[in-house]
This record gives sequence, C-alpha cells and structure tokens, in this order.
Amino acid sequence: MSAGPSVGIAIPKLGVGLPYFSSLPPELYRSGLVDFVEMTPETICRQRPKGDTVALEIVTAQLDRARHTCAALPLVVHGVELSIGSAHGWNDAYLQMLDSFQAKWPFVWHSEHLGYQTIQPDGGATLEVGVPLPLPPTREAVDLVAGRVLEIQDRYRVPFLLENPAYYLPDPPADPEVGDDIGLMRTITQSSGCFQLLDLHNIYCNAINHEVDPLSAIDRMPLNAVAEIHVAGGSWNDGFWMDAHDGRVPEAVWELLEYALPRCPLAGGVVFEMLDSHAERLGIDAIEQELLRVRKTWDRCARG
Amino acid sequence: MALRDFQNAIGTMVRASDGRDRLKDRKVTPTESSYLSSLPENAAFRFTVKVQRSWCAGRAAKAAFLTLSMLPDETRRQLLNDWTSLGGGTQSFVAAESAAFLEFISRHLENPSHEFTVCMLEMAALRANEGARHFARPNPINLDSQQCLLQRGNYAGLVRFHAQPQQLLDALMKKEPLPPMSSNATALLFGPGLDRLYRTASRKEVIVYEKLTAPTPATLLVGEGFNRESLQDLLEGGIVEYAR
Repeated sequence: MSAGPSVGIAIPKLGVGLPYFSSLPPELYRSGLVDFVEMTPETICRQRPKGDTVALEIVTAQLDRARHTCAALPLVVHGVELSIGSAHGWNDAYLQMLDSFQAKWPFVWHSEHLGYQTIQPDGGATLEVGVPLPLPPTREAVDLVAGRVLEIQDRYRVPFLLENPAYYLPDPPADPEVGDDIGLMRTITQSSGCFQLLDLHNIYCNAINHEVDPLSAIDRMPLNAVAEIHVAGGSWNDGFWMDAHDGRVPEAVWELLEYALPRCPLAGGVVFEMLDSHAERLGIDAIEQELLRVRKTWDRCARG
Repeated sequence: MALRDFQNAIGTMVRASDGRDRLKDRKVTPTESSYLSSLPENAAFRFTVKVQRSWCAGRAAKAAFLTLSMLPDETRRQLLNDWTSLGGGTQSFVAAESAAFLEFISRHLENPSHEFTVCMLEMAALRANEGARHFARPNPINLDSQQCLLQRGNYAGLVRFHAQPQQLLDALMKKEPLPPMSSNATALLFGPGLDRLYRTASRKEVIVYEKLTAPTPATLLVGEGFNRESLQDLLEGGIVEYAR
C-alpha cells in the first residue's frame, strides 16, 4: 500500500466545472462561465451482450457531439457504474469502457463513488440493487477498496478520486479502528494514496439526516487529499433531505463551500452538480447564476 | 460477518423491500444480528427502500415510455409497482430490460386494443434496432436449394394496427383522442434489414410470417403460391431467415 495520500501527483487548478449534458445549450460550455467539464461516460454508452456478460459500448455519435460541444475545455470523468466497493467484484465492463474512453478523450482526473450497487447472493448471478449503498466502516472494506484504487491508479496514470456518499441507512456495525464513514474515507485515502472528491451536499444531507455537525464532519475529512469539490441542491421527502440534485444550491451548502475551500490546498475545481432531468426545469439563468457564485467563491477562497 | 455476506443481506433486503433478512444462516455477531433485525422497523431503512423503488420506477418508465403514456395513471402506477416488486428497474441501462418489461405489460393489456398495438410496436422496434447492429444480408441463392428451410427472423416482428398507423401515432404524440378501433387491421413488418426497420406488410406476407412459427421448406411455400421474389425480399429484410 502507498505511504500516504496523493504522493507525487499534481492536481492542476482548473476552476469552475459543469457536468456535460447533451440537453444543455452548447453555448453554455463556451460562454467563459465554465473552466472544465465533468463527464459521466456511461451516459453516452449503450449496453450490449458479450458472451455471458455485457459490454458498455461508447456511442460514437454521442461522443463526437460531446467533444464538439465541450471544445477545448479540460475534461474530468465522474463515473457511477464501477461499484468499487462490491465484495463479489467490481464492474469490469465499466473499466473496459473507460480504457477505450481515455484513449479517445484523455481526462485530467477521474472519480467514483465510495459505495456499492451490485451484490451476488449465494454465488449466483450479479444483481443490481437499484440504488448505491454505503460501505460498512470495516478493515475488510478498507482493504478491498484500497487495493482496487491501486489497480486503478496503475491502469489510468491520472489522479483517482473517491466521493464521500450521501446515505440514509442507519450507521452499520463498524470496526473501532475505522470508526465511521469519515474514518473509512480517511483510512482508504491514506492507505491507497488516492484523492477525495468532497461532495458538500452529501455532507449536508448526512448532517441533517444523521444529526451530525457538518463543519465537524468536514474537519474530520482528509482535506489535504481533496482534489475536487461538488455542490448541489436537494429536497425534502418524507422527513429526509434527499440528495436529489434537483435544484439550486442551498445557502447552507454555499456556507460549507466557503468553509471548506480554503482548507483544501490541493482542490483543483468546484463543480455545480445537477441531474440532466432537472436541468431544463432549473433553467439556464439559474444555472449561470450558480456557476457565477461558484466562481466568486473560487476566486476568493482557492489557493493558487 | 464477511463484507460480501453483509452486502448481500442489505442489498437483498432493499431489493425485496419487506426488510426480511434472507441470510439468517450466515455467521453473524450479536451486533450485526441486532442491526439487520432492526432494519425493517427503521424509518431510514424504509426511506432507502422508497428511494430505490422510485429510481427503479423511473428507469422502468423510460423503458416503455410510449405504451405507459397511453395508460390511465392508476394502471401505469400499478404496472410500475408490480414490475419493481419483481425486481425490475434496477438496471441503469434501461434498454437492457425494455423487452422484458414490455412483455410483462403486454400480458396486462386487452388484445386487440391500441395500447396493445403500441406495446407490440415498441417491442418490435427495439428488437429490429438491436438486430440491425450486426445484420448481414443473407445470400438468396440458398432459396433455390431443395433443402432450404425458412423461419421467422430472430429480430423480426409483425404489428397489427386497428387504425391507420400514422393516425394513431400522431394522436399519441399530440396527446389527442385516439382514433376509433377499426375491424380492418393494417400490419407493419419489422426487420433489421429494412431501410427504416419497418414497412407495411401485404396480406400474403402476413400469411407467410404467421406460417413460419417453425422451420418450413421454401419449396412448400413456393408450392402454395408464394413467389420466390417475395421470399427473397423478406429474407433480405431480416423478416425471415434460413433455419439451421
């Protein structure tokens, strides 16, 4: 295992980022409001059978369109399909697709969510759970994910980031030396040398739903390993604050950004996240306003 | 408890939604046992299940968009609920389960009806599109062989419309009242080798297609009055194929 977080890899200061959605006007990506684009490559893929398994195939026309839209903006990748924490095995099809994607469109760094979304009960077929679930903070989970991170770093040779997840399940049984979800993130980044994608809206969700102090949670994160920050909106549902990415960033999350950004010396960019399905309803004016506010905070708080 | 068993327990409980731990025979510590058995009554667990159901229903709704859009709200909700209860909607790539969901829906629709037609249309278009990716036009020379057997194309379909197809689809797209059911059906053939993946079927073509539920000698079809050119046309469109 590596000696510590982020050894010997430089994170460039990119600035303000926006996810790529084909539904948004291409001009938005060339307006000067966006310094870099964050792409989830699975969104331009289709699944096809490959023997007993499946393959993710990049749809060339959609890739071309994305490249044309984003023109010369630096690219980072934010994956959702790897299931890096699944004990039965991760998603090989995702990695094979990412190999091909990197060859076609190189990215500055890439990230995944710290969690799992597939299981394999009784050694049978792999099943998708349907939602990502949090890993228990145990030594076994640390070793599993840290080992896979090392493989990924070796395979892609660009910085790899793990995102702290939002979760609703009650805290699972933990190994004392790992402690909780934050201890899990700390231990994995320390033992694998990977970076963190600090999702402040996920911190905010967990703070509300699990009744913890968000600033203390941020303080306990491995801030020296944070390479990227996410801000997003959410909404109430059944008494829970949902990580729905369905609206503007709450004022409390902006305050968390003001607090966290100066404490993350390596942070290379801040992304305003939303779901494609909500982008149209949100409207271009609102998206531009959120991007401007990210920039204002970035210019004031990020260390160059 | 091993991580794999823990994930299987939680994942299965979330998928099953009733919160029942189906892995009770695993080695668990008292803490783990207490955690798992407390979940069904836990509001946060139930909310996780609710989110899972909502995501799954959202994915499934995309997988059968046209057909579901024709159904009354209550029927649509019930079908989505039944499908997600069976474990549907979990796959991120909706196309992977579109065919299975459409087939599930078709079993709950009146036949004939416009709804059933549109369901068959979505299935046939999906299938033909899937086949088109690797369709190779077969050599028609084998049609002349005495041993030639023909069957329905693996990626082909036949859909009966009980109104003019364009009229029905226009009404659907514009959210206008659907045309009345007509006793004269118009049939469309779908095949991976067709220019737009479909075309109108002649009466004779419908008869051939319906006949080919099992491998049938081409000579028999010719003997019954189907001409070779028509068979070649069906073959090149992927509507029929050589049986091996």
